[in-house]
Amino acid sequence: MVNDKNIYKPLRAKLKEVIDESPLIKTFILIPEKEFSFKTGQFIELCVDGIGEAPFTPSSSPLVTEKLEVTVMKTGYVTEYMHSLKPGVFMGIRGPYGRGYPVEKFYGKEVLILGGGCGLAPIRSLLYALEGIKDKLKKVILCYGSKTPSDCIYKPLFNRLNSTEKFEAYRTVDKAEEGWDGSVGVVTTLLNRIQVEIKNSVAVVCGPPVMMKFGTIRLLEMGYTDDQIYLSMEKNMSCGLGKCGHCMMGEFFVCKDGPVFTYNELKNTPDIWK
Amino acid sequence: MYYLSISKEEWDIALEQLLLSYTIFAPVENEFGQDYELMGLKDISRISYNKPKPATSLKSFFLPVKENVTIQPQIDKPRIILGVPNCDIQGLGILDEIYLDKDFNDLYYSYRRDNTILIASDCFGILRHCHCLSYNIRPYSVEKADMAVIQRDGMIILRVISARGEELTKKIPHVQPLTDGTIISAIDSEHKKTEDLLSSSNKGLPDYPGTGSLVKKANDEIWNKYASHCVSCGACTTICPTCTCFLLIDKPGFEKVKQLDTCQYPGFERVAGGEDALFELHNRFRNRYMCKYVWKPGKFKSLACTGCGRCIEACIGKINKNELFMELV
Repeated sequence: MVNDKNIYKPLRAKLKEVIDESPLIKTFILIPEKEFSFKTGQFIELCVDGIGEAPFTPSSSPLVTEKLEVTVMKTGYVTEYMHSLKPGVFMGIRGPYGRGYPVEKFYGKEVLILGGGCGLAPIRSLLYALEGIKDKLKKVILCYGSKTPSDCIYKPLFNRLNSTEKFEAYRTVDKAEEGWDGSVGVVTTLLNRIQVEIKNSVAVVCGPPVMMKFGTIRLLEMGYTDDQIYLSMEKNMSCGLGKCGHCMMGEFFVCKDGPVFTYNELKNTPDIWK
Repeated sequence: MYYLSISKEEWDIALEQLLLSYTIFAPVENEFGQDYELMGLKDISRISYNKPKPATSLKSFFLPVKENVTIQPQIDKPRIILGVPNCDIQGLGILDEIYLDKDFNDLYYSYRRDNTILIASDCFGILRHCHCLSYNIRPYSVEKADMAVIQRDGMIILRVISARGEELTKKIPHVQPLTDGTIISAIDSEHKKTEDLLSSSNKGLPDYPGTGSLVKKANDEIWNKYASHCVSCGACTTICPTCTCFLLIDKPGFEKVKQLDTCQYPGFERVAGGEDALFELHNRFRNRYMCKYVWKPGKFKSLACTGCGRCIEACIGKINKNELFMELV
């Protein structure tokens, strides 16, 4: 049966609160006018009225339907406008779109998550989802890297995870600041510190392209197979519907066939890290 | 599928009558060739029949250059598009797959499709760059259109293809079943002549899957060579009956305007962080070929190139994709 819903029309959502996460990153808490649900790893198009829209994977729990949290880094035309928005205004939401994390495939396994920068936003949503099914998982390890300690987002998340059964969280920074006594180095250096049973594990990578590239290379060196590595790809997802062509990556529409892919699905596609 | 006939005079009168309930577009000859025009009462006699392809592709009737996709879709009257070459009829296949997708049905596209009757026109003769047959598309329609029209010796022959086409014939007085087998044989022979012309003018040109294999293997040298004449104007993709990429532009009130876009423009794939897989011109140039002959065939059943040759005609850098393919053979 053909769906007669207008696929281009956004759902209005009231901006309830804006949280400063880091100098360049804010989290927007939205109350959609209608109930809105998504699967972890799926993305939405978040729209500033009359200005433009951009794709984001919500950072909130997929189990919560009355509100939605989206973490946005100020990096382009639309996100700059977003950062100037005050609570009370209405934004638009289209979606959810695409294929998220197949969490049911993680049952009985150790989940190693490699995150960088604002890539922790989709990962936080995944972590909420994994916390909800922790009885079915062996272990969840988060390794996260940010440029500096002040660029790290969701700081309370790390203590909370470390006090949660079956969860471990590690942080590193590229460049230390005064008062930082933690690890310094790129995120892959954290992989030397963890205990993981690779055969019974999956790895999730989300972050800037260069981090994803070297993260994947390191995971392969460690012995992960192409099928065990899940990548959350970022392209210019304009329509979210598999039509506009902007996010085409080889034969894939990242918006519809992804944004979550196994490395096995993408390894023969050129320019995936660009 | 069956044939009907009507005198040209009575056909013209029938079209004039149909103008009361339909908007009709049909090709008319001009100084450059022929192109679709909106028909008024005085224009019916100017319709050009059985000439190879109009300048504009059928796509523009279903995907306007720019439209607001947050207001109610509207068409004043149902439409008849008459004189559509089979390359364009086949080109609608991939548009249907993309826009009538069961998960994300485009209301605007489907509304236009539902309200449009397609009357194809058999091509008797070819233009310089026509190469539909190389991609296994015949120069006449026997499927996907609602009917096809052939003008011959003061008569109009209708090849009725779909139920919607059959319904339309009930609104055309004086149509008769075509019983004269010699006329059908003569039409078949015209088809054969056109196909012979296509074969001889495209000798050695690889078929559609063969083109895909060649494009996939081609090295940077060939893309750089041909891209050196490209100015990223996007004429090739704009005129192409199967290129459908677009951009959504936001307007106040959460309105969205959908505007045709092209991978040939700089910045097409650029993301906010600055990465741009198609930054270099030769990569954008190659992208169109990979999309049409390698990636889309892996994803869709319908052809992403119909061999209409319009991209060759439209290119201001005089880039001929068929010369590129012949160089790869």
